[in-house]
Amino acid sequence: MEYKVEAHRIMSISLGKIYNSRVQRGGIKLHKNLLVSLVLRSARQVYLRDYYGGICLSAQQAREWCEGEYMDSEQDRLVPGSTESLPESDGQSEVAVDKQEPSIVVESHAALDVESEARGEQDHAENGVLDSGCSELKTPESPEASPTCEVSNVVTTISSNCISGPPPSNPKQATETPNDCQTDSESVEENSHEPIVPHTCTNRKRSADDSELTDSLPKRTKVMSPTLISKNDEKKAETEEMDTSNVSSLITIFGSSFSGLLSSEDGAQPDSEAEDSDSGQICCDQMLKNLNPWSTAIVAF
Amino acid sequence: MAGAGGGGNDVQWCFSQVKGAIDDDVAEADIISTVEFNHSGELLATGDKGGRVVIFQQELESKNQPQCRGEYNVYSTFQSHEPEFDYLKSLEIEEKINKIRWLPQKNAAQFLLSTNDKTIKLWKISERDKRPEGYNLKEEDGRYRDPTTVTTLRVPVFQPMDLMVEASPRRVFANAHTYHINSISVNSDCETYLSADDLRINLWNLEITDRSFNIVDIKPVNMEELTEVITAAEFHPNQCNTFVYSSSKGTIRLCDMRASALCDQHSKLFEEPEDPSNRSFFSEIISSISDVKFSHSGRYMMTRDYLSVKIWDLNMESRPVETYQVHEYLRSKLCSLYENDCIFDKFECCWNGNDSVVMTGSYNNFFRMFDRGYRQDVTLEASRESSKPRSVLKPRKVCTGGKRKKDEISVDSLDFNKKILHTAWHPQDNIIAVATTNNLYIFQDKL
Repeated sequence: MEYKVEAHRIMSISLGKIYNSRVQRGGIKLHKNLLVSLVLRSARQVYLRDYYGGICLSAQQAREWCEGEYMDSEQDRLVPGSTESLPESDGQSEVAVDKQEPSIVVESHAALDVESEARGEQDHAENGVLDSGCSELKTPESPEASPTCEVSNVVTTISSNCISGPPPSNPKQATETPNDCQTDSESVEENSHEPIVPHTCTNRKRSADDSELTDSLPKRTKVMSPTLISKNDEKKAETEEMDTSNVSSLITIFGSSFSGLLSSEDGAQPDSEAEDSDSGQICCDQMLKNLNPWSTAIVAF
Repeated sequence: MAGAGGGGNDVQWCFSQVKGAIDDDVAEADIISTVEFNHSGELLATGDKGGRVVIFQQELESKNQPQCRGEYNVYSTFQSHEPEFDYLKSLEIEEKINKIRWLPQKNAAQFLLSTNDKTIKLWKISERDKRPEGYNLKEEDGRYRDPTTVTTLRVPVFQPMDLMVEASPRRVFANAHTYHINSISVNSDCETYLSADDLRINLWNLEITDRSFNIVDIKPVNMEELTEVITAAEFHPNQCNTFVYSSSKGTIRLCDMRASALCDQHSKLFEEPEDPSNRSFFSEIISSISDVKFSHSGRYMMTRDYLSVKIWDLNMESRPVETYQVHEYLRSKLCSLYENDCIFDKFECCWNGNDSVVMTGSYNNFFRMFDRGYRQDVTLEASRESSKPRSVLKPRKVCTGGKRKKDEISVDSLDFNKKILHTAWHPQDNIIAVATTNNLYIFQDKL
């Protein structure tokens, strides 16, 4: 628990440093930013591990419910937004600390579920990463996991690898249970509500997505979301959801000048080595091209 | 020279001089960014953030006071680098002098290389203490005489004049680095030198400025896969084909230029496995090597990471032969140090003339010496309070826990704004130059 709070704080600080590095005299210092992004990734791993630790727990609870006779109540619990259910489960109190979290947890739950197909390609992702928190940081399998969400881009690098690395493997652990749950639920339950649960969750996830993103980011997110969903990259969706929980901290860091940040962010996203740091037009398409937040950070150098 | 480090040994360090403004309000341009003795130790050069180089010269030992070593006085000051603007990338290039390296002296003039983030310059520092007088066609003040008034001819002769030290840029090595230059190192062949930035190392000929050879390139094809950068590089002191470079991951690679033109494949890789019990969010940062220096003998090399100094035997790659903890008490404070950016400080380290003692800086204007032979270490402070001429420096101690003894300083009272990043040791004598933020302290052993 403390680790998660600490990890969250470190992530916020790291974001701030990356942001400030752009306005520092002498240009962006590659070495320092590389180190900051490594710390960011470590913190994120720990943060997500705790997150998923909570999810696993809730998923496990859910499975038990599936097998039991408390289908209806379970469904209630699984419905996003109903935070009351979560605290009831063991260990979920920690997950429900942040009021955004419960919904995210559930959304991720659904995301994980939908993400099973993506799991295959995540197998080779850092499997051992979560084992010891922020142990071995491996090279992010960036090309595959690239959130398109602008939030994450802003945070970009924030997320940098964090997003590309662990998240794919995170769900791997947690995915087992939800899927099992689904299977079980489907097999055991004739209740028509059951199968709907994931869908509900999914739909709900998307709408929650939109709402959360919209709340946090002006305009652009609206443009982003449909694209995001159309791409149907659940990894991105899931990681992006992870990020939305950080939005509040992001906002405090960057103040209200998100658009300003994005423009300077864009300005620092040249296509090749440290070229063209013009503050160009912020273009969603351009953001989409630089999907991988790591690339946006490093390429900026 | 005596083996020196302090402690039970017989060397005691005394304050000698301090250079720089006393003002507590430090101008950013005055922040010292590099310190280097020349090969004889007679000259001491400092570079600052304002792009200036100041060279001090040691006075000849006075016959009246044979026990006193000569003082260092300003010999030459010049503006080495100016701030520049890269219009193509819309980036400002800082004029801060990152490194100064002296060339071995070959004639009456002295040469040094100074570099900022992008450009290396070769400076010639020469003395002029005579000037020709007695021209036929010119007056003493330079005005031309009317030729019709010349009735006799004379041969101009050199007359002594006040010493004038001139610094002139002889070569400018520019446009070879995309990233920030962190190191330069002159080869023992005295003809070439290397310059290293975050991702590449280039080999130059001192005479040729319009081209250089790239000998190391660790830039990945896809920048997204970047995991480490080059943090320091140095040529071997004796073997002109050998150089080492350190990385942000805590590894050192030794390369042999005879093996291939591009030395991406190392000949040796020096790496110590990480202690898993010390794992934290900041493990990567503190394992990043900030400085690497060969011993004068060429048998060993020393690396500095955030918390420790390690001595490596070039014949053993698996682990260092000696490890010295500089300020282990900071390990529990890494998070705060990360917040205030201190964790990114790049401390340098240096050997004494006979490789028996190593020195490096710390916070609160402390610096540490480790005597390899006697296995002793001492912590000293560079401060105005202990700046009385020839006053002996008292060893300092940081209290790491429990009851604080008298004269000890607790970790929480350390001033992290007062850091000693740059130190230099005279190549022969026990004279050290220690740079605080904007002051240069010179200490010598008590004779």
